[in-house]
Amino acid sequence: MNSGPALVSILRQGDTLVASVHTALDDSEMVRFQHDLVRQIGEHRARGIIIDVAALDVIDSFASRTLRSIADIARLRGAVTVIVGIQPDVAFAMVCLGMDMGEVPTALDLEEGLAYLSRLRGLGSSHG
Amino acid sequence: MSTARATNEPQESGGAADVAALIPMLRRIVAARIGQHPAAEDLVQETLLRVLAAEDRIEPGMLEPYAIATVRNVMATMWRQDDRDARNQHRIHDPSEPDEAEEVVVASEEQSAITEALRRLTDREREVLLAHEVSGRATQSLAEETGSTANAVAAQLKRTRARLRVEYLLALERTEPPTDRCRAVLMALSSADRRRQREVDAARHLLECDLCARLSQPLLGRGPVRDNEIHVPISADPDIVAARSAAREMAVRAGFAGADLTMLATAVSEVARNIVRFASTGEVTVELLEQPRPGIRVVARDTGPGIADVDRALEDGYSTYQGLGLGLPGARRLMDEFNIVSETGHGTTVSMTKWFDTKGRG
Repeated sequence: MNSGPALVSILRQGDTLVASVHTALDDSEMVRFQHDLVRQIGEHRARGIIIDVAALDVIDSFASRTLRSIADIARLRGAVTVIVGIQPDVAFAMVCLGMDMGEVPTALDLEEGLAYLSRLRGLGSSHG
Repeated sequence: MSTARATNEPQESGGAADVAALIPMLRRIVAARIGQHPAAEDLVQETLLRVLAAEDRIEPGMLEPYAIATVRNVMATMWRQDDRDARNQHRIHDPSEPDEAEEVVVASEEQSAITEALRRLTDREREVLLAHEVSGRATQSLAEETGSTANAVAAQLKRTRARLRVEYLLALERTEPPTDRCRAVLMALSSADRRRQREVDAARHLLECDLCARLSQPLLGRGPVRDNEIHVPISADPDIVAARSAAREMAVRAGFAGADLTMLATAVSEVARNIVRFASTGEVTVELLEQPRPGIRVVARDTGPGIADVDRALEDGYSTYQGLGLGLPGARRLMDEFNIVSETGHGTTVSMTKWFDTKGRG
């Protein structure tokens, strides 16, 4: 089992899961994170997911592919994913590398991410 | 006081008495550092000599601090000297006698290996080496004998010693190297000749040849310690993160900042991942460049199956695993220079460089 401080924390806030990545993850840790998060969507009946990647100093092809997979899987499980906190330098390198987040919505930070999800919900329900 | 007195005045002068008063303190300092070392008293005397010689330059009242600083320097010099002596000690003939039975066996094995190694040198090499190391003849006198220069003889001795080390290690293993390249690589390592190591591609050979990888261990420590190069062995996922952190650290020292750092780390991540996915083992070398301008060179080597179609691997979107196919082409875009050499069945070497002062970016 993993010892030491948690690499990722997943907290529940209403029907939203907030997953914060605390440190650089290697590929297998990234995959484990994907499994954990997808499992918790069902457990908590989550409708929205925010993934905070502010602590990632590198988002390479594998990391961005995994993040996109998480969002795709979550969508099939009925939840919307927002990626927040991509650092400016990381964004720059991602563009050079030729990657983006595809259809996955992104937001500046956690606050903007929550606002985005509540706007979506506002559109989706008639009584606001 | 004695500040204006010349140092070669009689020892009974007031200055000398002041200096003599320092002796107990100096002995305490030396004893605290090196205890009952046989050189302890010599160090004290050496310090006194230096203090006496400098006495007329020392301001009144500063004699004691000056003596303390001096004794520390004297001790540090001794450590350095001992260190260097131990490193450069001539080892062909060791007069000390082993006691334990085990030591005797080891010593006799070492002895026969040295004999064998000496036998493999040419007559001329052996003659000069033994004349210098055992009979203690100076390079100058050896040079005169052959109408050469002392420097040339010293260089020849250096080569001979490097060869002796290689032959000794081979004799100790009782083995012959499996390939023609082995000796050239081991020689380049033994003589700490970096240009030659590059020419024979020593780093790749060490990945491929188990024997040389093992034998090279005692040889790698030779030559000046280089802190502007890091080797990261790559065999599993965590090594990818280790490689990119190493590159990042090195780049910070080179003066990189901001997006350049992230681009470098991302490119390293991509090439290191290729090693884990396709070759299973290899290494990433990160080197700080100063010429022609500051930069970072990253070389990723593996001994995997090689890439059959390099051009295609560099196309966007071409992927043989479930990646985005952005690994190699992406890394190429992130770096300033990019070169890939792959030989089917032997492995792949990716060399890429990022320059510090690129494109006038601020």
